[in-house]
Amino acid sequence: MKKMKKRSLFFTVIMYSIIFLLLFPLVILFVWSFTKNWPWPNIVPKAFGLRAIKYVFSPTSKSLKTLLFSVWLSSVVTIITLFISIPAAKALGLYKFKGKRLFKLLILAPIIVPPVAVSMGIHVTFIRLGLANTFLGVVLMHIIPCIPYGVRILTNVFEIIGESMEMQARVLGANPYKTFFYITLPMISPGLVSAGSLIFIVSFSQYFTTFLIGGGKIVTFFMLMFPYIQSGDRMMASVYSLIFILTSLVLFVVIEKTVKAYYKAENYFYI
Amino acid sequence: MKRLAVILLTLVLALNLAACGNQQTKQQASVLEKDWETILKEAKGTKVNFYGWGGSQMTNSWIDNYLAKRLKEEYDITLNRVGMDIDSILNIMLNEKQMEVKEGTIDVVWINGENFFTAKENDLLFGPFTDKLPNFNKYIDKDSVEVKYDFGFQVEGYEAPYGKAQFVMIHDKARVDKVPVNHEELLQFVKNNPGEFTYPAPPDFTGSAFVRNIIYDIVGYEQFLDMEPKKEVVEEAIKPAIDYFKQLKPYLWKEGKTYPATIAQLDNMFADKEVVMTMSYNPNHVVSKKQTGEFPETASSFVFDKGTIGNTHFLAIPHNAPNKAGALAVINFILSVEAQASKYDPNNWGDLPVLDNDKLNEEEKEVFSKIKIGEGAIRQDVLLEHRLPEMPANLIPIIEEIWMENIPAKGE
Repeated sequence: MKKMKKRSLFFTVIMYSIIFLLLFPLVILFVWSFTKNWPWPNIVPKAFGLRAIKYVFSPTSKSLKTLLFSVWLSSVVTIITLFISIPAAKALGLYKFKGKRLFKLLILAPIIVPPVAVSMGIHVTFIRLGLANTFLGVVLMHIIPCIPYGVRILTNVFEIIGESMEMQARVLGANPYKTFFYITLPMISPGLVSAGSLIFIVSFSQYFTTFLIGGGKIVTFFMLMFPYIQSGDRMMASVYSLIFILTSLVLFVVIEKTVKAYYKAENYFYI
Repeated sequence: MKRLAVILLTLVLALNLAACGNQQTKQQASVLEKDWETILKEAKGTKVNFYGWGGSQMTNSWIDNYLAKRLKEEYDITLNRVGMDIDSILNIMLNEKQMEVKEGTIDVVWINGENFFTAKENDLLFGPFTDKLPNFNKYIDKDSVEVKYDFGFQVEGYEAPYGKAQFVMIHDKARVDKVPVNHEELLQFVKNNPGEFTYPAPPDFTGSAFVRNIIYDIVGYEQFLDMEPKKEVVEEAIKPAIDYFKQLKPYLWKEGKTYPATIAQLDNMFADKEVVMTMSYNPNHVVSKKQTGEFPETASSFVFDKGTIGNTHFLAIPHNAPNKAGALAVINFILSVEAQASKYDPNNWGDLPVLDNDKLNEEEKEVFSKIKIGEGAIRQDVLLEHRLPEMPANLIPIIEEIWMENIPAKGE
């Protein structure tokens, strides 16, 4: 008993240090959001101001409108990518076929090949197809780097849960649709949440591809933020980054809670 | 099924191209032949997409709050600013050109220098359009070198001046007693204050301008204006300057072993009091940085006695701009006394006006002279007295290369 306690204390310390290491940069971002200047050797900033906050919330900067649009865009990308990923992941996770390893490797290609080179070519093709500068075009472009994450995570999930439960359902007379909605979906839902979160972040932080394919007609939140990071305006960059992080965080928590409540699932999430 | 899809796609494609093709040729041929009244009428109620660098909050605010608002009131034009770096913009324009897209996305693009050269060489621009603009004809000195040439390239009416910039040095009065006014004094200053000065490594835009400015200060600027863009020639000409940089190096921040990669980094180092000087290609930079609270109140700008490099930034219209009439109306409005004065006001942006002082009447001159320039900035007439022309753009990469080969690596 005593030993257990000691061990748990040790883990508590480790856990809190990791949490601290993760959260501390966020605190710095928060402080910088209100900091006019912070010269060496001051430990706290010298002057505070609301310039960046005021700018972000002023209607002419269109920041919040763009934020909502970005969330919508990335949600669409996430849902489509998940739809594509589920069957692919099931095949890769459960079935045996020739060249499976090769396929598993090929799935990673969008991460390995530099996106800049590929997207230039895609842009040319999209112009020809009339997809450049459209919402649909940007969604399609985002799906490409998202798919590896979706498929790889769900493949692991399918490998873990196996096929036995589905087979049992089929044996008991459920049709394939019923099996999917009542057995497979609840079982992979934790995996869906983690895959979805990652896909959302990847899509949410696409910069160059959105620029190129969207041609400035499709403006995402990251595109507003990036010029400020480049030009070294730390106050603006911090406010935008903070909103960027908080948005994804809030979204994930809400989705996780909803999914958990819906399936009354006790099992852990693979986040 | 597959075949059906292919046929459908081909059909969509063909229709698309055909549809774009028709519209465009009609507009293209006519917009420059129409009189100004008709152009304004056509521009009314339309949307104009304005593409350009979006990294300065003050510039963005000026476009969103002043320019967009006034254009709506005056011409019922909706201005849509898209903040995008020029490389991406050129990428889009080049790809669109390659695919012969007849109706693009960009109406007005903020451009100059090499990028203008690239755009013009590749026939990406619409024009010549400047003599169509009433305000250009009325207020701009068409024979001035700064309007006719952009980094040594002939403009030929393919872009209209937007504003002027000039290189200035920025120092903190609280920590620098006497500012160095030429390269020798700078060397002395840096020797006396080792580790307190540095400059961004070229090809950073501002760092590269600093290097050119030092070159001008040492060997003069005249010889560069028509210099052959050959490495040996340039190397020979700037040898004294390269020697100077070698002399300067050990006394720089981190002993010159490393340099800030961007001017943004140097600005932040200055704000954090790591160094005592920074520099800018925008003479009012110090004012806006003080307004945002990033720079200390004691920050102030200065120029070298022999002068500093100045350039003009421009507005152009892509050859496939969907709303050329609207673009012309917007550019014309930007060339008005009202817009240039508002842009010059350091509370809004602080960008130098491009209008020719001799062409303004008393009332209009009054508008400009009433504007208070910010604390720490240099008066416009002083700047103009110390203004040197920018080098031809094709020499710049050569100089950056020579700097790269000689300065960072050697002496380790």
